Parts: sequence; structure tokens; C-alpha cells
Amino acid sequence: MSALQNFHVVSSPVHFQELLSQDLSRISLINFWAPWAAPCAQMNEVVLELSRKYPELLVLQVEAEEQPDIAESFEVEAVPSFIILRGHTLLGRISGADASSLTSSIAAHLRPVSFVQAKSYSNAQPAPADTETPAQLEERLRGLMNRERVMLFMKGSPDAPRCGFSRKTVGILRDHGVQFGSFDILSDESVRQGLKVINNWPTFPQLIVNGEFVGGLDIIQEMIENGEFDEVVVGKAQ
Amino acid sequence: MAVDTVELETTLRTSIPISHLEIIDQSNGCGENYAILVVSDAFEGKNTLARHRFVNELLKKQIAQMHAFSQKTFTPKQYETWLERQNAS
Repeated sequence: MSALQNFHVVSSPVHFQELLSQDLSRISLINFWAPWAAPCAQMNEVVLELSRKYPELLVLQVEAEEQPDIAESFEVEAVPSFIILRGHTLLGRISGADASSLTSSIAAHLRPVSFVQAKSYSNAQPAPADTETPAQLEERLRGLMNRERVMLFMKGSPDAPRCGFSRKTVGILRDHGVQFGSFDILSDESVRQGLKVINNWPTFPQLIVNGEFVGGLDIIQEMIENGEFDEVVVGKAQ
Repeated sequence: MAVDTVELETTLRTSIPISHLEIIDQSNGCGENYAILVVSDAFEGKNTLARHRFVNELLKKQIAQMHAFSQKTFTPKQYETWLERQNAS
């Protein structure tokens, strides 16, 4: 197997900038991945294949959690995520293990031909709830938050988390034998935005117990240290 | 821009009674990544979420200048138990 000239594993923000700045007219594909996420393994293969097929494409592999500064600068909040650039100009982003979108986007940018690329979205959203009033949304959110005694609003699902914070939270709950329900906020934008507001908390995961917001990962970890976790989440007192 | 840790400490000490405070620079010198450990009677009867919200609000100005911030909050009693457990393991 010969090494690919256009395929680079990024080791630091400086390294990243150097690679990107070498030729600002070049198209680059940045693959944000994590070793624990199964969909990434499969997409890494796709990316490797694209590197072989398009030698003119600059391919940058970024392990999202090893390079938080790079991931943050592209507002990457779940893996896998793909960013397509020309120099520093953003041409497209693809979220999730959507091999066909990725392949067709790369093809479109590298062979600028006259047909119009059909848009495809990786996360099929439920029909946008234009008709849902704020009151109806709140009622729906309260319903979701009370679906089980412990509810986790996370990115991805417990068996296929799409963010390290969500993954760690699932791990903690399982380690403590906590039974919980979960909801993938990446699948429903109104739930995602609505929960930020009613719980007055800007990030996910969000852990809910008995319908009440308890905290995110930092708080959960601290609750384990100060004893509150056993009391509130595990429910030993009951 | 580096965060003024003296100001951070003063803000905390003038707002709540502090029995123990640690400010840990985790940034390797760039001054933008801090962890704090606060032990205070003021946390008695407040859950972890309320404590975090309280500290975040108090240090809003300083946190805004940081790249990363994390906190641990204990009541004096919880801190003692925590220390014992740390030493035991």
C-alpha cells in the first residue's frame, strides 16, 4: 500500500493551518471523527477512497476530541462531520455518516459541471413543525421530559452516541445501573432549541429526573463526587 | 488575554464565605483555562445545578475571558468526606 500524498492526519492547529495554507485554491475535505464511534470507522473508509480517487483533493483527518480547538472553530459538535473548503472558504458541511452526500458533494466541487446538484440532507428531519405553537411545543417537551423517571436528551442514541459528552454520560448512567430513557436532539431541532430555553441550559446532554433538569456532564460528575448522584439519580433513598 | 485570578478570587471571597479555595491553571501558561474548587457554607442545601449556576453568574465576567472553565463545589462537610475518600483510594 503506497502512502497517499494528499491524505494527512492533523496533529495540531498549527499543522492544520500549514496544510491548509499551502494552496488556497485547493479543495479540501476535513473529516472530524472519533475512534469510539462506529459510523466513523465506516466513513473513514469512504474518505480514504475519496483521497485515492481525487489526488487533487486535500484530505485532513481530525480526531475531534484530540483537536478541540479545530473542532470548535468549525462548530463541529457531533461525529462524524465533514467540512469542505476551498482555501478558507466554506463550501459545504455534512453531518453524520452519509456516504452518498459526501461523495456527491466532493464530486460536484471537484468537477464543476453544469448540472445542479440535488440537495440532500443527512438527518432526515421530521416535517418542520411550523404549525406548532410555543405552548404546544412546551407541552410536548414536558411530555418527553416525563416519559421516564430518568430521561437523557443527548446527541445520538445510547448505543451510537455522536458526541463525547453524551457518550460519557451514557457510560456513567450504565455504570451506576440507572434505567433511563433517551431522546436524540439531533433528530428534532424544535426539541433541541426548546429544551435550551425551558431548562435555561445552552448545551447537551441534559439529564432530567422526575421531569426536572438536573445538569449536564460536568454537574453529573460533580454529583458523583459529592454524593448527590446516588441520592437523586440512582434514587437509593426510595 | 489572561484572566485576572486575583480579581476572580476577590469576587468569590467578597460574595460568599469561603473555607477553602483552589484556582488551578490548566492552560500551560496561556491563562485561559481554569478549574476552581470552592468549599463554602453557602452551598448548604443547594443542589449542584444551583451551585454551578450561582458561580457562573458570579464569575460571568471572568469566565467570558476564558477558553475553558470548570468548577467543583462542596460544602465543608462534603469536602471532608471527599478528601477522606481520595486518601482512602
